[in-house]
Amino acid sequence: MEITTASAAISYITTVEENSAKLYENLAQKHSEDKETFLSLAKENKRNEKSIKYAYYGVISDKLEACFCFENLDTDNYSIKTELSEGIAYPDKLKELVDTEKKIQKFLLDAAKQSKSLVPDVSWILERVGKKRAKRVATLESLLDKGAK
Amino acid sequence: MAVLEEPIKEVLTIKNYIGGEWVESKSDRILDVINPANQKLLAKVPISTREEIDEAVQVAKETFPMWRNTTPLARVRYLFRLKELLEENFEEVSRVQTMEHGKTIDESRGETRRGIEMVEVATGIPALMQGALVEDIAVGIDEFAYRQPLGVFGVIGPFNFPFMVPLWFIPFALACGNTVVVKPSSEDPISQTKIAELAEEAGIPPGVWNVVNGGRDVVTGMLEHPDIEGICFVGSTPVGRDVIYKKCGETGKRCAAQCGAKNFVLVMPDANLDRTIRSCMTSFYGNTGQRCLSGANLVVVGEGLNEHEFNAFYDKIVNAFVKSASQIRVGYGLDENVQMGPLRDTKKKNRLIDVIQKGIDEGAKLLLDGRNIKLVEDLPHDAFLNPSVFTEVTPDMYIGKEELFGPIASIMKAKNLDEAIDMIHGNPFGNATSIFTQSGKWTRKFVHDVKVGNVGINIGIVAPMAFFPFGGMKDSFFGVLHGQKESIDFFTDRKVAIQRWF
Repeated sequence: MEITTASAAISYITTVEENSAKLYENLAQKHSEDKETFLSLAKENKRNEKSIKYAYYGVISDKLEACFCFENLDTDNYSIKTELSEGIAYPDKLKELVDTEKKIQKFLLDAAKQSKSLVPDVSWILERVGKKRAKRVATLESLLDKGAK
Repeated sequence: MAVLEEPIKEVLTIKNYIGGEWVESKSDRILDVINPANQKLLAKVPISTREEIDEAVQVAKETFPMWRNTTPLARVRYLFRLKELLEENFEEVSRVQTMEHGKTIDESRGETRRGIEMVEVATGIPALMQGALVEDIAVGIDEFAYRQPLGVFGVIGPFNFPFMVPLWFIPFALACGNTVVVKPSSEDPISQTKIAELAEEAGIPPGVWNVVNGGRDVVTGMLEHPDIEGICFVGSTPVGRDVIYKKCGETGKRCAAQCGAKNFVLVMPDANLDRTIRSCMTSFYGNTGQRCLSGANLVVVGEGLNEHEFNAFYDKIVNAFVKSASQIRVGYGLDENVQMGPLRDTKKKNRLIDVIQKGIDEGAKLLLDGRNIKLVEDLPHDAFLNPSVFTEVTPDMYIGKEELFGPIASIMKAKNLDEAIDMIHGNPFGNATSIFTQSGKWTRKFVHDVKVGNVGINIGIVAPMAFFPFGGMKDSFFGVLHGQKESIDFFTDRKVAIQRWF
């Protein structure tokens, strides 16, 4: 799906954050050993969703190029999944999560870059949330390492 | 991307809001309000009578002493509540704008945010409407200057910003202690009904904020009414200049008439091409070109270039502009990926089709023909036009000179900045203009010399924030004081007191 406008981008990204939160909450129920980590990731997803919406709704204005801020931003190029494959082992779930977080990060940073001069506040929050993804990846990798030991 | 849910589910009967009551008009003239994207009937709006506007003005007049004596702090507390309600209903009122006007959802949300911004700034009125005091102008004598409200103001809204534009005036008028009678555009009156409903919910006392729907009779009734102190109008130049301004002069009313435009956008040889073109898409095609801040004439300026370089630069700009314009996704504004919606109605589209033909007949070259309708979804074509681009336009052609109010861009050439500024000054309008450049020297000269009310530097839509006046010069503005923050002077009278105590 190609994204052209700020509205479409915000809808897509906030849906990803919302679905990610649900995914981590489910994982927290299923894997009690890492419950706290998953719940904190879910909490962060919800915070991100709120921050992105605040940024967009707070600054959207007729002087900004909200309808023309993205070019060639296609969600199909990122294959972001907020559901895990069925019937896979816990370490594989963690690997899928790492992969998904990296894809979300790439999407957020690409979107931030494209909208930088046009809807700058939105770009700024996308970049911030995108950069924070690196920490989430490290957290999930540490769970993987812990399982391997 | 899904189409967002429509908030209007059934055909509405638009009522007048007079003295805190929602009253059906006695008029037998009722107009349909049609969603321009899908041609569905949204509402029935009355063309109210002279008696109904008289009644609203009478109620507003009777309410004025009570409201004027309500403290500024208490008045703005109503506005704080209104602001909260607008935030709570942000998405609904935005979608209503898209449904009744046709603009995209991003544009509607932008309009909502800017409307709320007016309410926010007006809540500062206890500080903003302070007067002045000088002690000891002579020994033991002090002099004060007060600002006092005047009475009833009429607000006449345009169709292109049905939500925001009346809010350029209403919150400031009310915060200063005046009462208002609002006449929304009969083409898209639902937004003003929604705002008045929220004003009622906020507890704004009956008779302070009144809405009378209608057309010419209501406007004439406002203009001729001896109890209306001033008129705020946004609309076309012929009406603003020849009717509103003139009649206000005859009847001694204050007048702020913000009118038409023909905005020139200059692209200098050092401009950042990618960002400039994308900004121009918003400028020329945002709101489907139906705004007084829209770019109309793109002037490619060859300052410092030889003929060969200038031609190459011009071709580069034209190609990039046409390519981007041809890729604009046109459709129903509630589809989040749509970049440009329909025109407000079929009549406006048909007028623009004539304008395009006129451009061709005058010898301009139509590089992109918006009459070839291409929509992102299956919708009736009635009110849709795709973007058009003309080149070889000269400032004396109809399309280069007159306000078109649609998605039609005219590209022109100017040898240097002086010639471009002369072109702008040759046009009777003076609403907005922009320059795209990295040069401080050119920018400084442009901002200093150009006789236009709102000037953008690498900004295609020069929309002043609520805490600045909304500029406008020449045939784009009639009056002395502009809307937004400057309207505090408009809505108050100065009284001076000199005191000495024996």
